Amino acid sequence: MADKETPLLDELEKGPWPSFVKDMKRMGEKNPAARDHLRLLEKSYEDKLVHWKHGGIVGVQGYGGGVIGRYSDMPEEFPHVREFHTFRVNQPSGWFYTTEALRKLCDVWETYGSGMTNFHGSTGDVILLGAPTENLQACFNALSENGFDLGGSGSDLRTPSACVGPARCEYACIDTLDLCHDLTMEFQDEIHRPMWPYKFKIKIAGCPNDCVAAIARSDFSIIGTWKDALKIDQDAVKEYAEAGFDIQGLVVDKCPTKALKYEGGRLELVPEDCTKCMHCINKMPKALRPGDEKGAALLIGGKATILQSAFLSWVIVPWMEMKPPYDELKDLLRRIWEWWDENGKVRERVGELIYRLGMRNFLKAVGLKPVPQMVFRPRANPYIFWWPEEVGKNG
Amino acid sequence: MAKVVAKTDIGPPHYSNMLPPIVKENYGKWAYHEILTPGVLVHVSENGDKLYTVRVGSPRLMSILMVREICDLADKYCDGYLRFTSRHNIEFLLTDESKIEPLIADLEKMGLPVGGTGHSASNIIHTQGWLHCHTAATDASGIVKAIMDDLYEYFVDMKLPAKLKVAVACCLNMCGAVHCSDIAILGIHRTVPKIDHERLHQVCEIPTVVASCPTGAIRPDPKRKSVKVNEEKCMYCGNCYTMCPAMQIMDPENDGVAIMVGGKVSNARTAPMFSRLAIPFLPNNPPRWPEVVEAVRNIVDTWIRDAREGERVGEWIERIGWERFFEKTGIPFTEKHIDDYIFSVPTFRSTTQFKS
Amino acid sequence: MNEELRQKVLEYLGKVDKAKNKDIAVAIGAKKSEVDKVVNQLAREGVVEFLYIGTSYVKLAGKE
Repeated sequence: MADKETPLLDELEKGPWPSFVKDMKRMGEKNPAARDHLRLLEKSYEDKLVHWKHGGIVGVQGYGGGVIGRYSDMPEEFPHVREFHTFRVNQPSGWFYTTEALRKLCDVWETYGSGMTNFHGSTGDVILLGAPTENLQACFNALSENGFDLGGSGSDLRTPSACVGPARCEYACIDTLDLCHDLTMEFQDEIHRPMWPYKFKIKIAGCPNDCVAAIARSDFSIIGTWKDALKIDQDAVKEYAEAGFDIQGLVVDKCPTKALKYEGGRLELVPEDCTKCMHCINKMPKALRPGDEKGAALLIGGKATILQSAFLSWVIVPWMEMKPPYDELKDLLRRIWEWWDENGKVRERVGELIYRLGMRNFLKAVGLKPVPQMVFRPRANPYIFWWPEEVGKNG
Repeated sequence: MAKVVAKTDIGPPHYSNMLPPIVKENYGKWAYHEILTPGVLVHVSENGDKLYTVRVGSPRLMSILMVREICDLADKYCDGYLRFTSRHNIEFLLTDESKIEPLIADLEKMGLPVGGTGHSASNIIHTQGWLHCHTAATDASGIVKAIMDDLYEYFVDMKLPAKLKVAVACCLNMCGAVHCSDIAILGIHRTVPKIDHERLHQVCEIPTVVASCPTGAIRPDPKRKSVKVNEEKCMYCGNCYTMCPAMQIMDPENDGVAIMVGGKVSNARTAPMFSRLAIPFLPNNPPRWPEVVEAVRNIVDTWIRDAREGERVGEWIERIGWERFFEKTGIPFTEKHIDDYIFSVPTFRSTTQFKS
Repeated sequence: MNEELRQKVLEYLGKVDKAKNKDIAVAIGAKKSEVDKVVNQLAREGVVEFLYIGTSYVKLAGKE
């Protein structure tokens, strides 16, 4: 790339963290679209203004999700990014890859696109940044031939994602990878053909540490947990103590429900007081483990700010066993979608709909029983709704 | 247009074909893990097998050239397997402990940092920004690079009071869902949208534009076949622009970033919590956003000085109180910090318990 | 597939620029889930395509 073409971005070549500018420049030497991409970004840095327009209709046949239209607002100056559409490629569960699979993706993207990628996008897909309209179908064909498919975009089920789970984590209470893959395969229509009021995200975390931020970032959060008492290996507790680890200060005193006692070299739990927060297990993974009766809590409504404020998902099912074929879970999902689809306004997330119509309507519609685990505390106002059948006729 | 020959709805590759043999053999049988050195983990299975993980920070935005180089390393040291984390890190999975050091030496040559474990600053979750989004109020990759350059010492070491998760979202759509991060940097607008009346009725449906406004600030303007905006009600969320390109909300002079702090996602100890406003506005100052970098550094430094062992930023602030947070960081508290949207009242201090 | 429903969906889409499946279902008096099936099949055949303007719509392919 010519010197001094991007003087502002060149400043981002400095410093110890890996520089995307250096990398884009290398790509720009091989691919004119990557070069124009960097030059257009430089223009944004000059103008403090974005230079992309709203998307138009782009896609591949049969799909309404997975390709996002992107057009530059300066097509004459930057012709190679005139059309610069994004592919969302559905990642394998847990983001595991063989280099063979990754190299195939790279080869496809070298042929049809800019050569720039994200590993990964916010929802979890591999993001391929920038292909012209005429390449979209051929690129998709090549992805498909190499065993890859597109993820979701628009008003559809977004690509489900999952933490590393039992593949490499002793905390995993559910098989996050299998569940993620199973749901993804079951709901291909819902991912690829947008038919809903707005997006719907599913994230699957193996334990309450929630390394995929399911509770914050998904409309439907599946979080592994357990029912019985966590397991304590007293010999390993001794080893921690002998190594000088402050069990009282860093573990027992930090237990949010004071469910632990450390006396006479033994760590004891009051199981009925434990809320399965993971703190003690995180601090002493050699000595403490989740219990044996494992499953998941299901929560609904998590989303970012637009429109009715950010929501954290809230409990709708405190406990469900998570075993293939996951029929109970899938049936519940379908009932939720049907209710949301029927009642939701355009761009209304499921959590916002529940906020507008009330949990009582939601629970009734999807057939869930109210339980105290759904709330921190009951209502403080007496504005109680009654169903007609619960009261006598007035006069 | 190319011919349609591809199979549709095949779904992603099955994960079991992507797992290294040691993972397949020990799937669901891991007993415990330890952090050996910053960025290097060992997971030990019930039958004694050991899996070593080397965690590497990436810019997320990568060329296929870089991806192939990473593949070369995974071929050389990991029998051709690797994974990525939910925070854009690359993880090399090794069975041979003696290969860790040569791998790290090769990573150093490539300029890729090893770290992000335990009480460290983890890699920044972020969105596209000016690089590839049409609604971006700021860039993301540039801010991330500038902040990670500054926090580098905390990525490659584990000397923080607790883990630190920073996120950048380039507009209120928050594709990066920054709202539960220890420190969240958020692109914001501060002026009402400029309406292109000529274009609006051609490209947008007026009822849709009106309905897009969460505060009811947009009304039909039948005379002009357009809409009008009640400037007092507009909170610059940009939702109308998302729905209609004729509601131009970009304003290079006034757009910038806000910083929110104290969020967390994990259920450990305290329940998950939202990040809350610390700094309502800092200017867009590319290429390195020095005001933003300095503000983040100040919050991190204050937290390091003041927090107890194991306290996340939000837990620290909740313990000392927000009044102390503003005092200790020297960040001015203003009317902008007091919520005036729909869930405001429960955030007002309805007790005489506060620090003077 | 339900031929009659397919014709109704196509007829409706011929009259509008774009629509959400829900609008189609209301307009032709059919069940939304049935409309979804028809639209998805039409999409696979390339007869309808999707567009995204803040939310997703469908339209007849190539119709301006």
